Amino acid sequence: MAQQHGIIVLFDVENALRTRSLDGNTYWFDNMKFLGSTGVGTEHLETIVPGTYFLDGSQATEQVLNWLPAALGSIPPTVPRNYLAEQGRAEERRTLDELAALNTEGGVNEADVKRLQEQVGTYAEDPGGRGFTAAKVLDVTGKATSSSDAYNYPAPVITDITGQAVAEKIIYPAQYGSPDMVYDGWYWAATVDTSRPGVYPYTLHVQLHELVKRNGELVWESVDLTCESSLKIITDPKRNGFTGAGLGVLPLPPVPAPAG
Amino acid sequence: MKEKVNIIVMVDAVGALSDRTLHNGNLSLIDDSTAGSRHQGTPDLVTAVVPGQVVHWTPIHVDVQTPVEIQSIEFLSGAAVPPPAETAPEPASDWTADEAAPGGTAGEPAASYPVASYPVEVPVPAVDATASNGFKNGDLLVWEGVVPYDMVPGVPYRYRLSLKLHEGPNSVLYVDSPALLRV
Amino acid sequence: MPPRARQPQRRPARPVTITAVVDPVAALASENLDDNLYLYDTNRAAGSTGFGTPGLRSLVRKGDTLLWNVLPLECETYVSLTGIEIDPQIAEPVRKVYPGTDIAFWTAEVKQDITEPVPYRLSFLLGTVSTPFTPTARPTLAGPAPEGR
Repeated sequence: MAQQHGIIVLFDVENALRTRSLDGNTYWFDNMKFLGSTGVGTEHLETIVPGTYFLDGSQATEQVLNWLPAALGSIPPTVPRNYLAEQGRAEERRTLDELAALNTEGGVNEADVKRLQEQVGTYAEDPGGRGFTAAKVLDVTGKATSSSDAYNYPAPVITDITGQAVAEKIIYPAQYGSPDMVYDGWYWAATVDTSRPGVYPYTLHVQLHELVKRNGELVWESVDLTCESSLKIITDPKRNGFTGAGLGVLPLPPVPAPAG
Repeated sequence: MKEKVNIIVMVDAVGALSDRTLHNGNLSLIDDSTAGSRHQGTPDLVTAVVPGQVVHWTPIHVDVQTPVEIQSIEFLSGAAVPPPAETAPEPASDWTADEAAPGGTAGEPAASYPVASYPVEVPVPAVDATASNGFKNGDLLVWEGVVPYDMVPGVPYRYRLSLKLHEGPNSVLYVDSPALLRV
Repeated sequence: MPPRARQPQRRPARPVTITAVVDPVAALASENLDDNLYLYDTNRAAGSTGFGTPGLRSLVRKGDTLLWNVLPLECETYVSLTGIEIDPQIAEPVRKVYPGTDIAFWTAEVKQDITEPVPYRLSFLLGTVSTPFTPTARPTLAGPAPEGR
């Protein structure tokens, strides 16, 4: 059966946008430290891919990698993917309800209107970038915001995976899932050919998004950057758990234990 | 007769690690024997086998990213097998490593009354699961074996199934309840 | 001469976020949270240090809003931040949830400028274990480095 390895990349989006570089602004994780991954939690992760093969030479366990990007200082990815959209809608419903209440009460004062304006927050338009729907701007606690200094950075988007590991056909990365940025994201996964042990670097192409003011309107603009990591492929023969070699007779006792 | 019987070892790793037991519904054993196995889906699975068949155990984790490995499968003997000289003489002393993580053994009479019939695992030399990078990798082990012709029919041969969930002092948990039964 | 006090400009409304990345399965299996807890904050440019360790030292100033949240390495596994113990004269963290979810975060305002680093204690719930896990190492809040360093 397939062995799934999740590789989480945490991006310091704010720093990366300021320096226009991912150098020093990524932290990489996998859950394979106990099998030999190194640099977990740092910028220099080397992910172990422990391949296995049968005595006839065929690859025994299919190894699958999944990449999951996350933005440091943002609403964490454990919050459901459609959260931003749902939350934006919930805020709108609440505002409509309050508007209706104001009407029935007859009097509308300036403070009420101002409060509702803040509640409505700000929509940002996407100037033709890929997939970013006009979405309500939320702050990092999930509330609508009208402040361009407070917005929640959207999760970075992986746009491609290249480099030696791909060029030498060690991994076959592909994109899965929906391109709808609000309800889901691009989802990258790869199967690994573990027959050629070695260390293979690869490059992650990432798109970050920042909210900028243009002609008085807030718009999302994408910033494309790259960062690197590597895979360490090993491969070892499968062996029988009872015999240490090939198939044998089960090691049964002369007299079985009585019922327990 | 089928040439091979598959036993699927399905574990809720997070549940088992949290509860520190493979009971509480954290372990489910299922086989595809057509010879009349009992207690499917429980840790008490009795797999019906016939001599010459290959029995193959496969671990599966419920949460896809949590590795589950079979650490060992040891058949329990009814005859008092003297413990190897270098180990402590207490009958249950070889369980102490797993003391914080008892499987189903804590309340068993065998543990309380160390008489002649206490179950003893048949000593099996531990197979080295070290990968070429020097790290242990239980995925290297294939757990299968042939049912011997001298197996006594109608008597369940219980075995200790030890599972390793990730790594560390709490990572190994076991049950003594599953069995093979020659029909 | 000490640097001139900055303009009383309104601070950016984005809080200093401290994110705890936790490998819950490894922590449960090894009963060691320290080796499986990685802390980060969004204030590295201001001088925070200890990134990727349980002893993160966050550089903060009076008036900063702090926000703590959690990122589990296995996304299906339950991890939550259940408590933050810190000198209440420095900050009084309050638990909140992302609106419409049961996913918690904690926030606090830094009440005063910090001269000596203030260690604090985080505790987490992992899996279905009812007793919180607390790392041995302590993260700290620290003020800007004194002059001459």
